[in-house]
Amino acid sequence: MISVRGVRKAFGAATVLDGIDLDVHSGEVVSILGSSGSGKSTLIRCMNGLEKLDAGCITIDDFDVSRPKELTEARKRSATVFQLFNLYPHMTAVQNIALAPVEVLKIPPKQAEADARALLESVGLSARADAFPSQLSGGQRQRVGICRALAMKPRYLLLDEITSALDPEMTSDVLAILAKLASDGTTMVFVTHEIEFARTISSRVVFLDKGQLVVDLPTAEFFAADGGMAKPRIAQFLSKMRKD
Amino acid sequence: MTFDLTILAPHIPFLLKGAVLTAEACVLALVGSLCIGMIVAALVTSASPILSRIAYIYVDLFRNIPFIVQLFFFFYGLPEIGIYLDAFATGVIALSIAGGAFTSDVIRSGILSIDTGILEAAEVSGLSKPTIFRKIVMPIALRTSVRPLGSVFINLILTSSILSTITLNELTGSAKIVASDTFRPFEIYAVLLVAYASLTYLVSLAIGALHRYLNRDQSGVA
Repeated sequence: MISVRGVRKAFGAATVLDGIDLDVHSGEVVSILGSSGSGKSTLIRCMNGLEKLDAGCITIDDFDVSRPKELTEARKRSATVFQLFNLYPHMTAVQNIALAPVEVLKIPPKQAEADARALLESVGLSARADAFPSQLSGGQRQRVGICRALAMKPRYLLLDEITSALDPEMTSDVLAILAKLASDGTTMVFVTHEIEFARTISSRVVFLDKGQLVVDLPTAEFFAADGGMAKPRIAQFLSKMRKD
Repeated sequence: MTFDLTILAPHIPFLLKGAVLTAEACVLALVGSLCIGMIVAALVTSASPILSRIAYIYVDLFRNIPFIVQLFFFFYGLPEIGIYLDAFATGVIALSIAGGAFTSDVIRSGILSIDTGILEAAEVSGLSKPTIFRKIVMPIALRTSVRPLGSVFINLILTSSILSTITLNELTGSAKIVASDTFRPFEIYAVLLVAYASLTYLVSLAIGALHRYLNRDQSGVA
């Protein structure tokens, strides 16, 4: 379980997260919605230990991400996919995916490469396995990014606006992969602006506004007229997103 | 005066010996300066303010002192405090230390140009800091730095001619001896010009090939 308790984070005078409480249980798909600057990405960055907390605590399977020794264990259990892919430019797709399994999980290199190729095949990229990131399209790079995260066999997948840099066609390719992962029971926390997709695959929706968690509801309840939509801020947000 | 290269024929073995000495000193100094450069660049960009400061002092010190002064200090100064090194070892060490200062600056630029997102991706995947440095930071920094590093290395080769001032009969030192023996400085130094130009041209070609290899992903669709 991912447990977020009373998390506060500020950058200078700007409070970005203001007392967030959230639990993500195994098998859940939790979408985090909110307008730009609401703290969604910062929450993901706090979960994977990239940002230090000003207050509060985040644990992943009881490993506290604020403690360096426990962060290593927490990171073995969670994997992150980034908005801008962040692939290693000097390595091929296969090498990008196989590096951490070899170095962190101590999987033999040949086995890690075979696993990486199998993952690439599962996302329709077996023919591009030996291509470098600069030789791949945005959608292909993001699929490699997802494979890189999955190669660590994480219990939790953290996804930070992973389709924001993609065109609609590439977005649908990537979302199809996420839908398959969700149906396979992969636990996911994803920050997204894809409202309809969040509605389709999420078990819960969390809405952040100005660093505060406004609602945390089961998906059907969130989108119900007398549920999350009853809150003016959420109705306004969803209405604007749908127009866009 | 006639331009007669045949007068150099008896001296070719001696000049070749000098050329080999130059090549040996340069190869060792290139490796030494690259190693020092990588370590110092790592220290400069490290989170430790003390280590970073020490590294900056080294770079500032050795970039701002004439190489010949450094060389004389190592060769003539250190024996005064009981440290004796032969001319070859002194030359290689002095070139490595001086070259390391310039090399570190180039590699530092390469490290600082790495997208922080790439480093964060490596960090969250659980890679240790030494592994990130070895597998991610250094390869990316080197591939962006390889051309400016080539200029540093060529400068190092040219600077190696100063080693003749500490009794090392490398290529320039050998040429000086032959010139004084034959009283034909025009021919001998003309040959020296061509020899150094050829040597640095070969290094340029090697650097170009290395640059193309390290950046092979930019050359087209795989």
